[in-house]
Amino acid sequence: MYAYVVRRLFVGVIMLIAMSLVTFVLFFASPIDPARYACGKNCSPELREQTRNALGYDKPVIVQWTDFLKGIVQGRDYPDDPELRAAAPELVTHCPAPCFGYSVVNTKTVNEEIKEAFPVSLSISVAAVVLWLFFGVLLGVMAAIRRGTIVDRGIVAAALVLYAFPSFFIGLFLLKFIAIKWELVDVPVYTTIAEGGIGGWLSSLLLPAVTLAMLYMAGYVRMTRAFVLESMTEDYVRTARAKGLRQNKVLVKHTMRAALTPLVTLIGLDFAGLMGGAIITETVFNYNGLGKLAYDANTTNDLPTIIGLVLLLGTFVILANIIVDMLYAVIDPRVRVG
Amino acid sequence: MAFLSVRDLKVHFPTVDGVVKATDGLSFELEKGRTLGIVGESGSGKSVSSSAILGLHRKTSAKVSGEILLDGTDLLTLSDEQMRRRRGKDVAMIFQDPLSAMHPYYSVGNQIAEAYRVHHDVSKRAAKARAVEMLDRVGIPQPDRRVDDYPHQFSGGMRQRAMIAMGLINNPSLLIADEPTTALDVTVQAQILDLLQDLQKEFESAVIIITHDLGVIAEMADEVLVMYAGRAVEYGSGNEILTHPEMPYTWGLLSSVPDVSGDTDARLIPIPGNPPSLLNPPSGCAFHPRCPHRDKVPGDLCFTTLPELAPGTRTETHLKRCHLTDPDAVYEREVLPEIAPDLVEESHS
Amino acid sequence: MFKYRKRVLAASAAIALAAGLAACGGDDGGESSDNPTGDAAATGEAGGTLNYLIYAPIEHVDPQRIYVGRDITNFSRTVYRQLVTFPISTDPEVSNTPVPDLATDTGTSEQGGKVWSFTVKDGVKWEDGQPITCEDFKYGASRVFATDVITGGPNYLLSYLDIPTDEKTGLPAYNGPYKGDGQELFDKAITCDGNTITYNFKKPWPDFPLAVAGLHMMDPYRQDKDQGDKSNFQIFSNGPYKLEGTWSKNKGATLVRNENYDPATDDPDNIRRALPESIVFNIGQTTETIYDQLIADSGDAQTAVTGQRVPPAYYNQIEGAVADRSSLQASPYVDYLVPNFRNMTDPKVREALKVATNAEAWINAGGGEKAYAPAESIVNPAVVGYQDNPAFSGPQEGDPEAAKALLEEAGVQTPFPITFTYPSSETADKQAAALKETWDAAGFDVTLDGLGDTYYDVIQKPNKESDVIWGGWGADWPSAITVTPPLFDSRINLTQNSDGQDYGAYKSDEFNSLVDQAQEAGTLEDQTAALQEADIVLGQDVAYIPLEIAQFYFLYGSKVTGFTTTPASSMYPDLGAIGVES
Repeated sequence: MYAYVVRRLFVGVIMLIAMSLVTFVLFFASPIDPARYACGKNCSPELREQTRNALGYDKPVIVQWTDFLKGIVQGRDYPDDPELRAAAPELVTHCPAPCFGYSVVNTKTVNEEIKEAFPVSLSISVAAVVLWLFFGVLLGVMAAIRRGTIVDRGIVAAALVLYAFPSFFIGLFLLKFIAIKWELVDVPVYTTIAEGGIGGWLSSLLLPAVTLAMLYMAGYVRMTRAFVLESMTEDYVRTARAKGLRQNKVLVKHTMRAALTPLVTLIGLDFAGLMGGAIITETVFNYNGLGKLAYDANTTNDLPTIIGLVLLLGTFVILANIIVDMLYAVIDPRVRVG
Repeated sequence: MAFLSVRDLKVHFPTVDGVVKATDGLSFELEKGRTLGIVGESGSGKSVSSSAILGLHRKTSAKVSGEILLDGTDLLTLSDEQMRRRRGKDVAMIFQDPLSAMHPYYSVGNQIAEAYRVHHDVSKRAAKARAVEMLDRVGIPQPDRRVDDYPHQFSGGMRQRAMIAMGLINNPSLLIADEPTTALDVTVQAQILDLLQDLQKEFESAVIIITHDLGVIAEMADEVLVMYAGRAVEYGSGNEILTHPEMPYTWGLLSSVPDVSGDTDARLIPIPGNPPSLLNPPSGCAFHPRCPHRDKVPGDLCFTTLPELAPGTRTETHLKRCHLTDPDAVYEREVLPEIAPDLVEESHS
Repeated sequence: MFKYRKRVLAASAAIALAAGLAACGGDDGGESSDNPTGDAAATGEAGGTLNYLIYAPIEHVDPQRIYVGRDITNFSRTVYRQLVTFPISTDPEVSNTPVPDLATDTGTSEQGGKVWSFTVKDGVKWEDGQPITCEDFKYGASRVFATDVITGGPNYLLSYLDIPTDEKTGLPAYNGPYKGDGQELFDKAITCDGNTITYNFKKPWPDFPLAVAGLHMMDPYRQDKDQGDKSNFQIFSNGPYKLEGTWSKNKGATLVRNENYDPATDDPDNIRRALPESIVFNIGQTTETIYDQLIADSGDAQTAVTGQRVPPAYYNQIEGAVADRSSLQASPYVDYLVPNFRNMTDPKVREALKVATNAEAWINAGGGEKAYAPAESIVNPAVVGYQDNPAFSGPQEGDPEAAKALLEEAGVQTPFPITFTYPSSETADKQAAALKETWDAAGFDVTLDGLGDTYYDVIQKPNKESDVIWGGWGADWPSAITVTPPLFDSRINLTQNSDGQDYGAYKSDEFNSLVDQAQEAGTLEDQTAALQEADIVLGQDVAYIPLEIAQFYFLYGSKVTGFTTTPASSMYPDLGAIGVES
């Protein structure tokens, strides 16, 4: 098991290195010139060269990439131009290892950017996962055990309708009606635990988390229902009933245990995806999480931030996969090694 | 009254296409300590009927009617909760394919102990001890260690033994074994059947064995019920039915068994055609489309009229559902030479 | 929904300042004209918190890097005082005329506008109480030259200040205070004599005070506060407000009173009434959310103004009492089309294109009169010396028949295939389709080529694929010298690798010489005359076809007082005048 995890991690690191290279190459292969963007209005070709220099985009891609990798191992000093660093030490920003770069656009190291955005995304994601898991599974199971009844049909229909809504619609709707029009809650502003206590933190997460939860819940309701129905036809569930077990115990211990196992994979990957992928929700609610950071980095052609986020999100996905596999070993004795 | 008395049992499944009559008017009786073998192809209603005895059909999907009198109580009149209390305690079932019938995520011991704890208010520890005891009783070596194993760590035979342990842990007065040996190889089959017989003697249970394998019937059954398309087509003592079957379907079953008499020369003749649809069963005798002897019945009786389950030419207790007037003669003349030439020779010499 | 346009306005098209609406006011709402702006006696009470709602992060808060019209005035009115600045007034004549701010007067020029001097007032202080010195102004200007650190800001100083060009880089031989190469050259070009700062230019800069007031590039900067690139989001104030805590790029910040600001050194009534006790820049809410709150007039939105325009989908919600809180004014920006002179060489074909262009259909498809006003020149009417371009006067509904005749005259084969390249968005696609209709009817065969984020990168590369290209522009200060020359002077634009801002590769010696004339002019009047003539040349050549002037349609909270949009504030809400009811 230990060797297995180490091997997986090793492969993961190789993948991340490859991903960073691909991102570099794609960025510079794009017709968009980041220097033109940063240079602003009335920019002469000479000035554009200077700007490229200031951004550190003047070196060959492969050199930039190896510098980047070196920075992860050794740390780096910015600005990149050693002459400038020597002449004006007050300009220098030291980015200690593991340094994921320096965003000229945001005048921050990528590490700092991530450090700020990470708790926001983590909070929203955790809150959303808890919500959708609880309600998604609950409704899915309810639909399955009342299969064919009005309850089932209602839940399935509602899930379908929810599923059809784009996330910005749900987010805007909640914001517009719940917060602004009816004033049931305040217009949410992300509040850390330090700022608002657990209560303030939770209430600030309510609407964004509900938005994401509703989005994902639809899928989870349908999947839970399908898995439970499938599981209900399993021989071992019949065995459990034949033993004279109470209905609830059959459902919880035998049916759900098996039915919900596939959900573990989905949750793991959905959670990892949400950490950087809640772009629309974070934008609608103005929560400065990783998704919004990624979106802004993309619109401002902020390569260092893009690279940092690609690697971070890649790491999430890789870790989520490993964790899911390990969880499987815990959940399903058949997977256990030895 | 018999210990178990099933009368006019019907299990119907309403579907969008119509009603599937999986079991349609089944009656039989069984005494304690005796074994009833129910034979038939898959889809003939054997398993559906036995599930009905356990009350496993969900009211939302199946309509069960008739009477199932166990020790004088009609199980079909019991509430869900009353039935649940009897399930696994008075009536237990052993399923075929123990790999899928046991939960992959729980240890064997856990699952066996669970069956005990449902009906006995004992500690987990005590239940586990009881599970070890049962595993030992069904012949699992080192049961105190194997009790914590998971089903996938058991061999097929061991799993079936474990299933039997689970079924018998509450001393049920009626045990239903659904194809208990189908998934096992021949030597293990024999061991499992021996075990079942031993345990039956010990616990004085009534046993219903469901199988499509007449070999199992020959070894185990005191009485035999042959089912076809949801109905009994032949019913009598085991010896009687195996030696003097009176229903062409039973003949077909006999022909398709390789090993009734241990004769290796015997030809294996599968029953031609497919089992009938239960949604639109054939008119008349449900077996007529596949019956090679229907021409011997005058007129179109086989096509139009469902024969009664009635005594044939031999004894009052040997019932058959067939229009043939001289089934014994046909059997001896046409069937026996095909499937057991040596028997024929013996009788001629 | 208007995200792209926002980006265009903020990043590329237009920026800075412009003036009034004398000619083309287009104010249907008329609310803001009711506001007694310019009249100090009638303004609201002091106190309270004003919220300024912005969607996209402000990219630069550093004075030498700010280049967005909205931000220029927001910071002028609050934290960054200038030598001279534009006063609060809805009258463009007044609002476009610089008044002294940190300087004692509006500057004196010698040598035909090549040398400019200003004297810094006594008693003006930084937020830490230290006096603002001539050296601070000099240091601020020096930062403009550090083009490898201070990027993205206005760079006019590079071509005007009297510093030789480095042959190797093609840039001035002085490269800013950080590396310090060529410092002696800079010290000669800008000199301090006591409190008097003197700028020496290579060529006349008659409109220099306009440039000083219109941008922050000439602002003072305290050397000991400079951290180069890292100062991008730092504010070291000398105005009535100062930053509380730090500026967060994606959240904004709160401005509070600066105790070291002395209104006696200022002209509060005309420049900075500084009514609110604090001003919160709230960044990041979507335009939709901003308008949901403004329309509902809920919570903090009651004391809020915004620089986001009303999205067309919300037009119908602005009625009754809500409409009383709205303001509709023409912006200082113009959208236009350019024919690609590499392909459309025949003047008759270009003329046919112009005649067939239905600018009204474009306007209607884009939201109608609340979104756009008609334009009759690429120069905005708010610019000093604006006049209608005769080539584009009258209603522009498109005349396919006349255009057809012109194409026949030209003797080209019809249908004449053309490709229209524009930045794609849901609205822009509809607008482009509306243009296509009359073009097709005239005998063109139009292919619509909507591009995404790559738009400017594509159209700036010399290309023959596009025949008609969309553009948007606004003056950097209220002079056409920041409009037509940067867009059509082939000498500064056309290189082997880039068309610069001259997307249509227009090249005219006649136009170029008029630009020279304007740049050599010693007085504003001469300069304006040359530029007016230059615009006529552009019209005759059909170097561009004006489409519209974007309308600024804003809503503000019910407790906002003295709401006004002025030419000084690029027609965004003018923070110099606005207060809140407590």
